[in-house]
Amino acid sequence: MLRLSLKMTLARKGRLLLTSLAIILGTSFLSGTTIFSDTINNTFDQLFTDVFRDVSAYVRSSNSVESEFGESRHSPTQIEALETILKVPGVSAAVGDMQSYARVIGKDGKPLGKDQGPPTFGGIASSSSAGLWKVESGRLPVGAKEMMLDRETAQNGKFILGDTVRVNALSGTREFSLVGIANYGDVASPGGATFALFDQPTASEFLLKPGFVDAILVQGDGSVSDEELAKSIQAAFPAEAKLETLTGAQITAETTSQIKTVLGFFTTFLKTFSFIALGVGCFVIYNVFSITAAQRQRESALLRAIGANRRQVTIALLVEALIIGVLGSVLGFITGIGLSQALSALLNAVGLEIPSRGLTIEPKAIFFTVIVGTVITVLSAVLPALRAGRVSPLAAMRDTALDTVNDFRRRIIFSAVLLAGGAVGLVSAMRGAGARSLGFGALGLFAGVLFIGPAISRKIAMIIGAPVAKLRGVTGAMARQNAARNPKRTSRTAAPLLIGVALVTSFTALAASIKGEIRDTYGKSFRGDYALSVDSRGFGGIPTSITDQIDALPEVDKATGIGFVPAKVGDESRYVLVLNPKTTEGLYTLEMVEGQQSNLTKDGILVESDKALKKNLSIGSIVKVTLVDGRTLPLKLVGTYKNAFGNYVVSREIFDGSTNSLFDSSVYIKINKGTSDAQARKAISAISTDLGIGKLESRDEFIDAQAAQVNTILALIYGLLFLSIIIAIVGIIITLLLSVFERKREIGLLRAIGMTRAQIRTMIRWESVITSLFGAVTGVVLGITMGVVIVVSLVEKGFNAFKLPITGTITILIIAFVIGVVAAVFPAWRATRTNIIAAIASN
Amino acid sequence: MNQTIQATQKIDPANIAARADSASKIYGIGESEVRALDNVSVGFERGKFSAIMGPSGSGKSTLMHCVAGLDSLTSGNVFIGEIDLSQLSDKEITKLRREKVGFVFQSFNLIPTLNAYENITLPLSLGKNSGDDSWIKQVIDTLALNDRLDHRPSELSGGQQQRVAVARALATQPEIIFADEPTGNLDSKSGSDILKFMRRAVTELKQTIVMVTHDAVAASYADRIVFLADGKIAGEMTQPTPDKVLDYLKHLGE
Repeated sequence: MLRLSLKMTLARKGRLLLTSLAIILGTSFLSGTTIFSDTINNTFDQLFTDVFRDVSAYVRSSNSVESEFGESRHSPTQIEALETILKVPGVSAAVGDMQSYARVIGKDGKPLGKDQGPPTFGGIASSSSAGLWKVESGRLPVGAKEMMLDRETAQNGKFILGDTVRVNALSGTREFSLVGIANYGDVASPGGATFALFDQPTASEFLLKPGFVDAILVQGDGSVSDEELAKSIQAAFPAEAKLETLTGAQITAETTSQIKTVLGFFTTFLKTFSFIALGVGCFVIYNVFSITAAQRQRESALLRAIGANRRQVTIALLVEALIIGVLGSVLGFITGIGLSQALSALLNAVGLEIPSRGLTIEPKAIFFTVIVGTVITVLSAVLPALRAGRVSPLAAMRDTALDTVNDFRRRIIFSAVLLAGGAVGLVSAMRGAGARSLGFGALGLFAGVLFIGPAISRKIAMIIGAPVAKLRGVTGAMARQNAARNPKRTSRTAAPLLIGVALVTSFTALAASIKGEIRDTYGKSFRGDYALSVDSRGFGGIPTSITDQIDALPEVDKATGIGFVPAKVGDESRYVLVLNPKTTEGLYTLEMVEGQQSNLTKDGILVESDKALKKNLSIGSIVKVTLVDGRTLPLKLVGTYKNAFGNYVVSREIFDGSTNSLFDSSVYIKINKGTSDAQARKAISAISTDLGIGKLESRDEFIDAQAAQVNTILALIYGLLFLSIIIAIVGIIITLLLSVFERKREIGLLRAIGMTRAQIRTMIRWESVITSLFGAVTGVVLGITMGVVIVVSLVEKGFNAFKLPITGTITILIIAFVIGVVAAVFPAWRATRTNIIAAIASN
Repeated sequence: MNQTIQATQKIDPANIAARADSASKIYGIGESEVRALDNVSVGFERGKFSAIMGPSGSGKSTLMHCVAGLDSLTSGNVFIGEIDLSQLSDKEITKLRREKVGFVFQSFNLIPTLNAYENITLPLSLGKNSGDDSWIKQVIDTLALNDRLDHRPSELSGGQQQRVAVARALATQPEIIFADEPTGNLDSKSGSDILKFMRRAVTELKQTIVMVTHDAVAASYADRIVFLADGKIAGEMTQPTPDKVLDYLKHLGE
C-alpha cells in the first residue's frame, strides 16, 4: 500500500506541484523570519564580542533608570575614578570611554550621517592600550582645538590631516583641526557609525559635562582573572562612590541582551505575521486536498472495490500528504533564505535599517520549518483523507457527483455559538476588559466567520455575481453559477483573502484613527509657526543650547523645547516629558483638567488625569521622581491634563546642574510679526538644520509628519501581509486550475456547442473575480468590525476616534477585483486548451 | 447488395447540408500510423435523417467530429452548406458550430448549473441572439418539455436530459444536427422516444440530422444509412429496417 501511495503521488506531477506550492509559500515566510532573526542576533553577538574583546573590566555609575523598553540608562562616571583604578594591582591600563552625540559637518556644509541612519558618535582618543581606537595616520589630538576621525568618515567626508572640521554636539558647534585618523580595532568604522574623537577633557566638556565620562574601560595585565580583577576594583571604592564594576564578559552579555530585548519585540512581530501567512497557507493546503480527494473519488472507490479497506485508502492519502509536506517544507525553507534577504530590503525601504552581516542558518531553523510545515500539511489532509476512506466502492461505477447538496444547519448553529462567544469577548473588551478578551473575542469572531462561510458563500456569491450576470449575459450567468455551485469550495478558496483583507482593513482603520488622534493632539497643543524636530530614537536630539539660541534670534518671538527623558516615577519606569515653563506659554499648551500649566516650577509635576485617578493622586500630592543621575526628587502635583503624549510633565529646571545631558526632541517656534517666512527659515536653519540638527517644518507640515509616522508601521504591516495575499492568490489559482480540470467535460461541451475561447476566458475570469470579491467583501466587513472594536478598546478617545477608512476600503475592493482577474489568467488559458473531442468522448 | 452504392452519387449536390471530400484523418506517424479515415467522400442530404454505422474503430465518430468541425482532417475537405471548414479560423469554426450545427452527445449533454430552458437556449445566448421565440416554443412542444423547463439537469431523468439536448440542438434551426450515440445511455423505452422525436424533427420541422450509432434498431429510424469499416465507406442503405441492417452488418463482418 505504501508503494502504491508513492506511485500515485508521483504519477500526478501537476497535483503534486500545486499542493507543494501552497506549502512552500506557507513555510517560506516562517523560515525567512527565523533566518532573519538568527542573522541579526548573530550580527550583534559578534559586534559586541569584538567591541569588548580586550576589556577586562568595565566601571560605571550605579545610578541608573530603566527605560520602558527594559534598557537601563546609567549616570555619567567621574573621571577621577581612573586614578584609583590604575592603582589596583592587576590593572595594566584604564581609559575613559564615551559614546555621546556628535555630528560632523561635511566640507559642503551638510552634516555627515542622518537622523535615521547609523548613530553619529563623539568619543575619546587615548594612547592607553585599553582604548578601542588605534591611530592609523597622524597623531592623537591634544587640547580643545584638535580632533581625530575614524577612517571611514574621513574618507566619506574627503577630510585630510590639517583640515578644519566643524562638529556640533551637546554644547554647540565648534571647529577643530584634524590631526589624526583612527581605526576601530581592525576596521575602519563599526557598523557605519561616524566617530569624532577628542582628548578626554575636551570630549567631556564638549560632549557631556566637564570631568565626566560614560564609563571606564580597564585592561588587566593577565595576572588575575577578570572576575577577581573586577572584585578588587570594586573593593577600591567606597559605597558612596556609587560605582559598579562589570567584567568584560558581563558588559558584553548585558549590551547584547539589551539589544536583543529590543530586537525581540521586533522578531516577535515578524513571527506573528509569519504564522498568519502559515495559517492562510493551511487553508490553501486543506482546500487542495479536499478538491483532489473529491476528484479522485473514483480512484479511491476502485481501490475499495478491489479490496482495500477504509484505513488503507485514508492512509494512502495521508502518506501522500506526508511526502508533499516534507518536500514542500524543504523547498519552503530554501525559498525562505531568499525571503530573509527580501525582508532586510523591506525594512530598509520603510526606513528601519538593521545591520546584518552574512547569513546565519541554524540547524534548528531547518528542523523547525520542516517539522511545522509537515505537521500542518498532514493535519490539513486528515479530514479529506477520512472522507476519501468513507467513499462507497460503488462510486467507482458512477459519475462523480460534482454538486454536493449540503445541510448547513449544524454548521450554522456551531458558527452562531462561536460568533456569540466572540461578541461577548469583544463587547467586554470595548468596556475595558483588556487585550486578553480582545484577543479571544477576535479569535471567536474570525473562527465563526470562517466556519459559517460555506453556509453563506452561495448566497453572497449570487448577490455579488448578479451584476456580472446582467452585464455579461450567459457567460456572466454561468460564471456566477460556477462561483456559487460549490459553496464549501468557494468559501475555502476565499478564506485566505478574507483573513488578509480583514487584517489589512482593521489595521488601516486603526491607523486612520490613531492619525486622527495625533493630529488632534498636536493641533491643540502646538500653537507656534514652526517646529524643529528630530527622530533620534532615544539617542541625542536637539541640544538645549540650540533651543536657547533659536529663542534668542531676532527673527524669533519665542521658541520652546520639549524633550523626553527616562525616569522612575513612583515605581514605574516612564519617559517623562520635559518642558521649559519660561518659554512654553502660548506655544505648547496642554489641555488642563485641573490646575494651570503655568503653575509648573522646578518643584512641580503635571500628571495625566486618568493616570492621576488610577494612582490616587490629586493637587498637592507628592510624586517621587528618580532621575538617571541618581537623584530622587519629591515633586508636588500642580495640575492634571488630558489628551497628550506621556503621563508626566516636569520642568527643564530640575536638570540644572545635573550630570544628565538633556536634549529636546522638538522645538516649537513662533516668529516675530513682520518677519517673512523666508527670513525666519534662513535664520533658524543656520543654527539647526544646516548643522544636521533636526528637521524644520511649518506647523501644518509638522502635524502632517507626526501623523505620517504611523504610515511607517502601517507600510511594514502591509508589506508583511503581502505574503498572505500572495498565498491567497496562489490559492485561487490552484482552485481554479483544479476546477477547470474537474469541469473538463463541461468546458468541452460548451466549446462544442459554440462557446468561443474568449467566452471561456471571460467565464473563468468572472468566476475568479466573484470568488475573490466574496473574500474581500466579507473580509472588509469583518475588518471594519474588528477596527471599531480595537479602536474603542485601545485608543483613548474611544469611538469618537474611529475613522472609517473609505478610500482604503475601496482600494481593497479594487485590488481584490484585480487579484481575481490576475488569478484567472493561467487557469483560463488552460481551460481554452481543453481538447473538445477528448472531453466529450470521455465516458 | 444491390441496395448499396457509393455515397453521394444519388444526391442532388444543391441539396447537401454537409459533405466530406476525400477526407483522411491519420493519427501517429510511421509504423504506428493509424488511418482513422481513409479518403472518405460522403454527403448528407438536407431535410433527411441519416445514420452512420460501423463497428468500433471504424472511424464513424471521427467522421462525425470532422464534418461537425470539432476536429480537423489530415487531408481533404469538409463543407457545411457551401462553407469549406478548412478555410476557417478557430473563432469562425466556433461561430459556425454555434449557428449552423447542433449536437446531441451520448451523455453529459447539459450544463449542470443551468436549467432546462437555459440549456436549450444556450447556443443562442452565447451568440447574443434572442432567437425565434415561436420556433423555440414549437421545439419545446414537440419534445414535450413544457413542464420541465425550470428544472436543473440533476432533477431530470436520462431520457428527459436527452430530450433537452435535442431541443438545444434544434434551437438555432441549424443547417445540420449531429447526434453521437444519443440513445447509448438510455433504456429502450426512453431510447425509442428520443428516436421518435428526432424522426418528427426531420419530418415535421424539416430539420437535417446525422446520427452515429452501432444499434441497428436506432439506425432503422433513419432515411439512409452510411456504413463505415476500417476508415472507409463500406456501403449505404436507404429505407432501412432493423432486420435489413443486421443482415447487412453480418455481411460486413465477413
